[in-house]
Amino acid sequence: MFEVKSRSLSVTVERLRRSEIFRELCDEDLIAIAEFCREVSYQEGEIVLSESAPADTLYIVERGKLALEKKIQIGRHSTPRNATIGYVEAGKIAGFSTLSVPHEYSTSAMCLEPTRGIAVDGEALRHYLETHPAAGLKVMKILAALISSRYRNATNTLTYFLSIVSHELRSPLAAIENYLQTMLAGFAGELNPKQKRMVERSILRVADLRALIGDVVDLARMRPEQIQADFEWCNPGEVGTESIEDVRLAAAEKNIRIMVEPPEKFEPIVGARRRLRQVFTNMLNNAIKYSPPDSKVFFRAWYEPEAVVFEVEDEGPGIPEEDLPHIFKNFFRASNVEQVQGAGLGLSIAEKIIEAHQGKILARNVTAEIGKTGTRFTVYIPRDLKTPEMRRHEWMAAEAEQPLEESR
Amino acid sequence: MAEIEKKPYILIVDDDPDILEGIRTILESRSYRLATARDGKKCMEMIGQEIPDLLILDLLMPRMDGWGVIREMRSEPRYAHVPIMVLTTVIEDASRRRYELETGMAIDIQDYVQKPANPADLLLRVEKLLKIHV
Repeated sequence: MFEVKSRSLSVTVERLRRSEIFRELCDEDLIAIAEFCREVSYQEGEIVLSESAPADTLYIVERGKLALEKKIQIGRHSTPRNATIGYVEAGKIAGFSTLSVPHEYSTSAMCLEPTRGIAVDGEALRHYLETHPAAGLKVMKILAALISSRYRNATNTLTYFLSIVSHELRSPLAAIENYLQTMLAGFAGELNPKQKRMVERSILRVADLRALIGDVVDLARMRPEQIQADFEWCNPGEVGTESIEDVRLAAAEKNIRIMVEPPEKFEPIVGARRRLRQVFTNMLNNAIKYSPPDSKVFFRAWYEPEAVVFEVEDEGPGIPEEDLPHIFKNFFRASNVEQVQGAGLGLSIAEKIIEAHQGKILARNVTAEIGKTGTRFTVYIPRDLKTPEMRRHEWMAAEAEQPLEESR
Repeated sequence: MAEIEKKPYILIVDDDPDILEGIRTILESRSYRLATARDGKKCMEMIGQEIPDLLILDLLMPRMDGWGVIREMRSEPRYAHVPIMVLTTVIEDASRRRYELETGMAIDIQDYVQKPANPADLLLRVEKLLKIHV
């Protein structure tokens, strides 16, 4: 970092006027403020200000870009990480905590590219605004607007935090699962039947916990645009096979047979492959969870002119009719399943994924139709979805036609 | 001496000592020569001393992360041929996208396993990757 004395006051005044925070102030105010400004420049990777350090300087960025970062550490053992929660570009300011009690920076700011700007002395600025209330009010109004826009950005921040939380929770679980699998496979010596059974149970319980953590995080960041950004051509048959693989151990545990009834031939469709797998795995897991031991779970697929349809049917107790309208709500669990583990997030996640595919997911009891109890989940996925690439092409084609239409 | 030379040399890199011990225990059942590192910098140091026949690599690590290691490996002709298996809790599309954003290139790795790795599956994959190299 190096500093240069301002070449002239009037130049500084003009530059201050271009910043968001001082744009409403009159010349007199700007001349006074220019007195306690200095020019600064930073190289890529340099830290401009540090979270929770005394906020004694307000920075106006004139060229370049800063990343606002917050330090996150979950638990005592995890590595602290920096989450980027926003960016400061030309004309914008960093370090508004300079103007608010307790005068401590609420984030760090790091240079993403060579950055040049003006540093305003915090104490002098505070003093000036206190003794010139008209100017103070103008600055505070802009500051309030700025903070409220940062506040709206909080959703992005939350998503980022959650992805870190999820990693921090998953890491110890992965280590435990790895040890258990290693023991179960006999790499650490032979287990007696009782030990083997306990290790098997532990693997299932830990896998449940891992899925639950995944669910909580997913639900928070499951936005249709995010799902649609992952649309690609995929073979629904392959996705279904992966889902069956996901639930194999849970099915074997209860001696449940998965009866697969595929169409004659699977045609590729556009969809978010990983997310669809999540939906099918979830439907199968649900069916297995609520089925009695030694029963069957049916997994069917067929094509209709407009949609590909997937269906999972179990021989469980069915869902009480009064509960049916609520089963896709967050954290809802049917009234007759108290003994079964679960947080009640799986179906609402499945519904969000299917909605992002402009499809639908339906649940009903089939007791009357098949003469014994059971629940059937049916998913319809339209066959005319488009990948982001296809949408881009269409958009470009439409743009190309635009001038023709105008000239008509 | 000749006996040692013939064993494939595998370097396992992860910041979690429990993962290292678990993976080591699985791989010790085969005739491999194993070494471990706890971060990307140490990993590059060890590769500088001896080029492994296979690198098993975590992504989120202190000092230098796995993406950094892949970048260095692929830009250095001496190491460019070493097969890399990524073993991580990070989901595959997210890692691929991040690498592409950072480098503008597709990630050049030979296998991707999301933790926890199934032991039998891991052994099969390792065997396959070592064959590619030979």
